[in-house]
Order: sequence, then structure tokens, then C-alpha cells
Amino acid sequence: MAKRTMQEATFLILTALAARSQHGYGIITDVEEISAGRVRLRAGTLYSALDRLRVDGLITLDHEEIVDGRLRRYYSLTPDGSQQLAAEADRIRSNATIAFSRLGVASGTA
Amino acid sequence: MTQIAAAERGYRRCLRCYPRSFRREHEMEILTVLIATTEENQRQASRQECLALLRGALAIRLRPRIAHSDWARLAAVKLMYLGAAVELLVGITVMATMTNLRSRVVATNPTYSSGQWHAEVTSTLRPLVVSAVIATAFCLWMAWANGRRHRWARIAFVFFFAITTYSLLNGLVNGSATYARADLAAGSLLWLIQLSAVVLLFHNSGRTLSRPGPAAVGSRST
Repeated sequence: MAKRTMQEATFLILTALAARSQHGYGIITDVEEISAGRVRLRAGTLYSALDRLRVDGLITLDHEEIVDGRLRRYYSLTPDGSQQLAAEADRIRSNATIAFSRLGVASGTA
Repeated sequence: MTQIAAAERGYRRCLRCYPRSFRREHEMEILTVLIATTEENQRQASRQECLALLRGALAIRLRPRIAHSDWARLAAVKLMYLGAAVELLVGITVMATMTNLRSRVVATNPTYSSGQWHAEVTSTLRPLVVSAVIATAFCLWMAWANGRRHRWARIAFVFFFAITTYSLLNGLVNGSATYARADLAAGSLLWLIQLSAVVLLFHNSGRTLSRPGPAAVGSRST
């Protein structure tokens, strides 16, 4: 069965969690930074995506803490999540390499 | 501070659209994020955030809580939605073609009285529409419940499939008066869709993954 292509928001959320566990607001700011301000996740969109990723077994709840009386819940990638993110990154890189070679430019200099 | 409190009240109202179990687990966390993104001088809840919350609530309520790796169960749920669509189409077609049907019957049989037509509508056509509407609602309910991994839903759908099978066989045995060609085609299509859904529901991947995995820890079925 062919693997589904990952949506950009999903890819960015998983990338934000790749290095360390993060809480909701941390993911939002990190995704904005990774995408150079192009993608601004709304809380409703983020938590809907996090719920789906937890059901799919790609992320898990790491720990939680209370800061200034507010709950912060940290999420991290599961081994399955890391694997899928790596596979998707590889797919994107492979497509990009082909695109750059057909454009006749070295990758990353277009 | 009071402005942020007003925005928080707005967000809390939107969060009420989420299922209670989801709210219990995530409401405070989502509010923390929403407050963190609220500007100091913001007088009320952001419209875009509210829309995203409402969309998220709809997704959480309707989306099957099945991992993509459990493709068989996911496909079974999709087939149940397809079954509901076909049932609805059958009901609509019967209602929409009722007048045409009467004209054709009258054309071929001029002695056909309005009393006979009324009896036909009461005894055959109306029950057909009502049963299509009930079956549509039941298929949607089954798709939703199986998407939530309720164990009873699998058994209930098998029971529903047994009724469909009995109804189809009964119609075939009792002659083609009830089972006209279009009726038979629709009944067979529905039976095939339901048979495929039942097979997929009991497929190996569905059985091994019907238990919540480690990633689903803490998430309650809604």
C-alpha cells in the first residue's frame, strides 16, 4: 500500500519535536521559525493535529508542568514518528534534488 | 488583564464545542497557548483562533480515532460512510421518482385507481423511504462508533449485515414483484459494501491494533 504524503503542517510539527520535547506554544513559535514566518499554526489546528498524531502513534505525551498557574504539556516524537519524519524528509530531498538538477542549478542555490 | 480575561471567556465558549473527555484532558493546556498568543491590548477573542477551534472541535468529534497503520478498520469505516450515502441515495431516488412511477403505471394500466396507488404508496414505497432513512442513520452511527473503536459497534454492524442479507434473500425468494431490477441492483450493491466492511472489520490488522497502543495512552474514546 502506497504511503500517504505528509501535510506540511504535520511535517513542521514533527520537525519542531525532532530535537526535543516541546509544549503547545513552543511548537507554534518553532513552526513559525522553521517556516520563516510562512506557517502560523492556530491553537485549534495544532491540537487537532496533535490528537491525530497521537492516535497514529507518531508523538507521545512526554511530561507536564505548571508555569504561572498554567498547564504546560510537553510532547515528543516516538521512534515511529522519527522514522516517518526521516522518510518524509528523504522524499522531499530526493524530489528537490531532481528539481534542482533539471533546472540546471546546484541544490540550495536557486 | 481584564481584556485578556474577556478574550479567555470567548475562547472558553468555543472550547465548549469539543467533546467533554477531550476538554477534560486538554482545555487548560489549549487555553494556556491561546492566552500566550493573545496580545496585551487585545479586547476580545481572535476570530481566526475561534474559527480554528470550531474546525478542530468538528474534526475531533467526527474523525475516526484509528491509526493510519490500521488500514483495514479505517477502510471498513469509510465503507460504512459509503453505505450510508448509497442508502440515502436510494431513499431520495424513490421519493423523486414517485410521480413518474405513477404516470407510468397509469399509462400501462388505465384502470389503475388512485385508491390502488395510495395502497401501493402506503404498503411499499413509504416503508422503503423510511427504511432507507433509518438505514442511513444507522450506517452513520456505526461508522462513528467503529471509528471510536467501540467493541459493541463491530457486533452491531454484523447484526445489521445479517438483517440486510435476510432482507435481500427474502426479497429474492418471494419473487421479483418487490425486487425490480433497480431495487435488486441497489440491494446487491449495499450488501456487497456491507460484506466488504464486515470482512475488513475482522481482518487481522484490525484485530491486532484494536487495543490502544502506547501513543494512545491518556486519550479517551469520545
